[in-house]
Amino acid sequence: MRRAIALFLIGSTACAGAEDFFGEKIEPLLKRRCYECHSHASGKMKGGLTLDSRSGWEQGGDAGPTVVPGRPDESLLLKVVRWVDVDHQMPPKQPLAAEEIALLEAWVAAGAVDPRQAAQAEGEWWSLKPLLRPAVPAGASHPVDAFLQSKLAEKGLAFSAPADRRTLLRRLHYDLHGLPPTPQEVEDFGHSADPQAYEKQVDALLASPRYGERWARHWLDTIHFADTHGFEHDDLRPNAWRFRDYVIASFNGDTPWDRFIREQLAADAFFPEETHLTAALGFLGAGNYDSSAAATAPTNFEYLDRDDLVTQTMASFVSTTANCARCHAHKFDPIPQEDYFALQAVFAGIGKGDITYYEDPSTQKQQRRLADLRAAIDRKDPAVLLSSENQAVVADWERERGPSDPWRTLPPETFDSAEGANLERLSDGSIRSSGPIPDKDTYAVSAAADTPKITGFRIDLLTDDSLPRRGPGRAPNGNVHLSEFEVQRFRRGAAQAEKVKIRRAMSDFDQAGGYGIGKAIDGDRSSSWAIHPAEGAPHCAVFELAEPLQVEPGDRLVFTLRQWQGGGHLLGKFRLSASAAPGSALSALPAEVETVLAKAAAERSPEEKLGLAVQVLRQRAEEAQAKLPAPATVWAAGRAATNERGVVAIAEPRTIRLLKRGDLAKPGAEVAPGALSAVAGLKARFDLAHPKDEMARRAALATWLADPANPLTWRSAVNRVWHYHFGRGICDTPGDFGRMGGVPSHPELIDWLAVWFRDEARGSLKALHRLIATSAAYRQSSASQAAAAAIDPDNRLLWRMNRPRLDADSYRDSLLGVSGRLDLTMGGPSVALFTSRPGPQSTPVLNYDNVDRAGPGTSRRSIYRLVWRAIADPFMDALDFPDLGLLAPVRGFSASPLQALALFNNGLVLHSSEQFAARLEKVQGTAEERIEAGFALCYQRPPSPDELAAFAALAQAHGLAAVCRVLFNSNEFLFVD
Amino acid sequence: MNSTISSRRDFLWQAGGGAAGLALAQLLSRDALGGMPVPRPAFHGGLHHPAKVKRVIQLFMNGGVSQMDTFDYKPELARLHGQKIGPKEKPEGQTGECGAVMKSPFEFKQHGQSGRWVSSVFPHQAKWVDEMAFLMAMTTKTSVHGPGSYMMNTGFTLPGFPCMGAWISYGLGSLVDNLPTFVVLPDARGLPYNQKGNFSSAFLPSRHQGTIIHAGSAQPVPDLFADKKYAFTGPTADAAALDLLQKMNRQHAGSHPDDSRLDARIASYALAAKMQLSAPEAFDLTSETPVTRAAYGLENPITEDFGRRCLLARRLIERGSRVVQVWSGPQGAVNNWDNHSSILTELPPIAASVDLPIAGLLGDLKGRGLLDDTLVVFTTEFGRTPFEQGSLGRDHNGNSFVTWMAGAGVKAGTAHGHSDDLGFKAEEGVTYCYDLHATILHLMGIDHRKLTFRTSGVDRRLTDVHGDVVSEVLA
Repeated sequence: MRRAIALFLIGSTACAGAEDFFGEKIEPLLKRRCYECHSHASGKMKGGLTLDSRSGWEQGGDAGPTVVPGRPDESLLLKVVRWVDVDHQMPPKQPLAAEEIALLEAWVAAGAVDPRQAAQAEGEWWSLKPLLRPAVPAGASHPVDAFLQSKLAEKGLAFSAPADRRTLLRRLHYDLHGLPPTPQEVEDFGHSADPQAYEKQVDALLASPRYGERWARHWLDTIHFADTHGFEHDDLRPNAWRFRDYVIASFNGDTPWDRFIREQLAADAFFPEETHLTAALGFLGAGNYDSSAAATAPTNFEYLDRDDLVTQTMASFVSTTANCARCHAHKFDPIPQEDYFALQAVFAGIGKGDITYYEDPSTQKQQRRLADLRAAIDRKDPAVLLSSENQAVVADWERERGPSDPWRTLPPETFDSAEGANLERLSDGSIRSSGPIPDKDTYAVSAAADTPKITGFRIDLLTDDSLPRRGPGRAPNGNVHLSEFEVQRFRRGAAQAEKVKIRRAMSDFDQAGGYGIGKAIDGDRSSSWAIHPAEGAPHCAVFELAEPLQVEPGDRLVFTLRQWQGGGHLLGKFRLSASAAPGSALSALPAEVETVLAKAAAERSPEEKLGLAVQVLRQRAEEAQAKLPAPATVWAAGRAATNERGVVAIAEPRTIRLLKRGDLAKPGAEVAPGALSAVAGLKARFDLAHPKDEMARRAALATWLADPANPLTWRSAVNRVWHYHFGRGICDTPGDFGRMGGVPSHPELIDWLAVWFRDEARGSLKALHRLIATSAAYRQSSASQAAAAAIDPDNRLLWRMNRPRLDADSYRDSLLGVSGRLDLTMGGPSVALFTSRPGPQSTPVLNYDNVDRAGPGTSRRSIYRLVWRAIADPFMDALDFPDLGLLAPVRGFSASPLQALALFNNGLVLHSSEQFAARLEKVQGTAEERIEAGFALCYQRPPSPDELAAFAALAQAHGLAAVCRVLFNSNEFLFVD
Repeated sequence: MNSTISSRRDFLWQAGGGAAGLALAQLLSRDALGGMPVPRPAFHGGLHHPAKVKRVIQLFMNGGVSQMDTFDYKPELARLHGQKIGPKEKPEGQTGECGAVMKSPFEFKQHGQSGRWVSSVFPHQAKWVDEMAFLMAMTTKTSVHGPGSYMMNTGFTLPGFPCMGAWISYGLGSLVDNLPTFVVLPDARGLPYNQKGNFSSAFLPSRHQGTIIHAGSAQPVPDLFADKKYAFTGPTADAAALDLLQKMNRQHAGSHPDDSRLDARIASYALAAKMQLSAPEAFDLTSETPVTRAAYGLENPITEDFGRRCLLARRLIERGSRVVQVWSGPQGAVNNWDNHSSILTELPPIAASVDLPIAGLLGDLKGRGLLDDTLVVFTTEFGRTPFEQGSLGRDHNGNSFVTWMAGAGVKAGTAHGHSDDLGFKAEEGVTYCYDLHATILHLMGIDHRKLTFRTSGVDRRLTDVHGDVVSEVLA
């Protein structure tokens, strides 16, 4: 308390004199004698201590706070500089002079006024200032242009002339779709007299699904999404693509930005009924995953895994490098270590792995209804089962089944045990086994088919006093395991059998633990149907055929009953029968229910009705369940997920403690979930009704991020969009709005856009694209002008448009598009553009060269390419596809001999050249006309006479494919004016 | 401030279009870009002070070399053999609990004037101890392969950071323009842990990443020539196509003035053509004499693969590559240095596969005078436990392991630091990868604190915020 008061006094009443004293005497002294080992500038923080900020000495090093303001004798600083303790002498080589020590004493005694922190006070930095809508400067009617022009005018500059229509269309197509326009589109646009022609182009491009495919890639870069784990075991995540498809759909559907945040961080909390949004949680699983560390170094693994999530979340949504505060208070931004660990606490309960969900939200509702019904069946609840609704279901079933018992016994003709059990035929058409009890056995039974049509078969397991515990099996407890039930039909006189296909199987009882009747028809002889603990009573199973069997007189049926469980789990007594009733009416009814059915409905007792309802409704529930779509799976993170360790479900979020110097061995106080304390107006620590609820923590962070009052979020989003449109953000470090990042070239514009995007566009990216793309700034020429370049060489003021080089994805997609083989199939599992073989451990060996370039899926857009995180495609690498081991908010630019070799000789380019040549060969006309067609497709312009002559000569000498190779390597193809 | 300079330079490459007036020669070399310190002749190509080393061959033993069975002689292990005195709880990163103390099954002897102890698994390297400087108390922050390999290559346990070779390429650039600057030669049996992550340029421009060369394959440099199945390619067709391409690109650049990236792309094709001329010769080992081939063990199936790659490393650095990394052992449970099951049976074969080639490499470099400005570094991701695991194997141990350096600027025949009596933990003169990297950069004329690149809010360094040059092992 006393300390708090002291700090308060210092903070509020420190006179200029004390600050001057620090600035003139203390800071130079610290710089001269201490910074060498205790400052960020030197890169050394020996003993964990830095002295280049107020928080540095307040927090202190490993030995605790360095200075106690007002108390020199209690301050470690004075103790060490006095060289009184042999183990703690600072500076270590040469002590301070007596007058220097006296200065430090005086400073500490006067309250250790250190104004350095004041310079980093909250809210002063541009990105943390509350968002206020600046007035649009007078001038241009388009607000974006008005802001830009007012800055240009200050320097005596102006926009360049508008780009010509061809250039503009090419720019717009690449920007919004990552693909070139067709020659026809260029032609139409060039000749259009419609004054709204350009705006209509923008709208049409934004409405096309190609837009989502292009812009989803930007987001996947930003959050380092890939299809594999990275690290030692760089294993495939076969279900990661669901998230990629979610992102594409979100962009195409124009999900408002705040909702986009909520969905990705906590769709399960916000939208539990919209089950398809589970795919959005793939955001939380986007990054690396070290399965090896998870197994052998779990504490460290969880710590660093959370760190990756904190880094990703805070960089992508609010352009903040919170992770820099892991080991110490952020060096440059107002982020104390507590904030960082509060963010770790948000993710302290999640498991990473596969999560299943229903793509159609209605499936989940049906699933719940069926679960309720099954529960009612299990507890034989008359209120539910005898309700008029369910009794109607039973009545329907009974009508469909027909008036009488549909089953006709198949009297066995021949029967045999493969392992030598004694089988005998009894008078009721059943077969009883006795004598030796083999470990495993197979029975074969043949019977005449005496009905013209068969829709199903039935096996009754019957009790008998000769069997252990009356059977129906021969195991000591009377159990039986039927591994496979197979049927063949021999046509009269035929030597070859025909397999009879079974559609589904039903039973009156299944042993728990994976011994359902389905196991008897799954083709797997190691799995089986069994009946424990319901031995000592008869049971039955029914097999509906895939197609009704049309039987001719003289045909024979052969049943193969495999009993491969072992331990003598063999059939003791059984009977086979057949039915011609409609398939849906077939059911495995116990004998007593058959008895009930023989009575008229009015004569049945309530118990009998209930018994019948249990059987019928269970069958109907199973049928309905089988018709439900299978659940989908996404690699993500959440309350529970399945990975190579099994189900990861942390019962209660881990306790997160502040770690001194980020060291797990130095835990400090517990930190509650929260976010950044430097954002004014938002609570930095979350008020959670249920603090142990993992999902609520994520939801709270999403709410904090999506808050209209969070200035970082809205600035971050508009700046990223601007970055991709202009090749450079208004702030040119889209992932970092801190002091180490760039400062905005147009602070008012970024704020205006942020407010407009939040309030007017309501978070619609498409509206933002439309606004930007329709500005004069966007539509101007990219040509350089010497006079303007002399004033603003970096074009920060946008006196011309920038000229991007195609990124790796756009380049590859353009090769495919221009050569006429772009496959526009959307969605689904990622396409491998490599061959693979097993590697020394779980990661395979990939070969990107010997791939079949015409194989299925190989000409789909690059967004659908399988990205193996740490075995990247060298060709895409050469064009600066980023290392997705880390966040990639911007793409780089390289020009190297290895890139030139890749573009000149890689199989993708050469194969595309051949395909392109084949396309051009189909053009009617002269060789020159084919080259003109090539120019139109690649450059959207005709060749000059000189160019035509040169290309024709090359085609003459080496073929049209050589021409295509040159076009694909040319800067005019690779750059967008 | 140095950091702003490097980011300005980065901007020139990334944003482009504004970098007016740069001479063509500067576009692809790193020279003079934006005021970044440049290799200075007065510093023998160093950035901040005179360089003693111009090129580096790094030998990386994948899996974790057992220090107490190779270079770290621990007689105490024999005395305590069989006693269960290790940690009771399984340390993080170990795959199992600590078993009993296990003595080395190999004989140790002292070698050379310096009297270094070396076990019988390295008879050939033992002859070179007087040329080597040992870091006997290396330590790291993890005992898990993935993070451990990242740490020793990039200075961080997480993915996404540039490796040492990429930093050197970024800082010093190339010595010649007809060969890749930074070459990685993986084991023929497979990539190491982390796949290509260990060779990444991460946030540095991608041209600084390691060029992976599969020694012995038909096309060692990727896409060096077109596949012959494309009939429209070949020497004559390539020349004609390149001629027209450059004409088109020059014309395009002429009508798009002030865009240095266009010129850089034009220059890159000229350099590619030069690389096509020189690379095949560099990778052709047939011109080497039988004596040289035998010295590297090329005639023996056990040493052939690693020997070939060591010889290739020499040819590459001789011709101007800056950094060549030679890997021993793929990822996985066998054929590498991750000897969990039996030190007695697993270590000798992998040790034999590198021992003669390493000695051959050192001899060849010395004989050619290349050791005068070349540094050879032998390292691994971590060490192993002095305790048995299961039967006769040893588990991961990030607490202590051994690295050696030989060549230019190194105080030959020295050793720095030591581990505890068991070889379990580094004790005195402890060094991290930060110190090793700082020392290597120092030898190349680079102050590791000044070689930075700004990304995501931080001026990143190879050495993070750590690192002291280990002056004790410098000449």
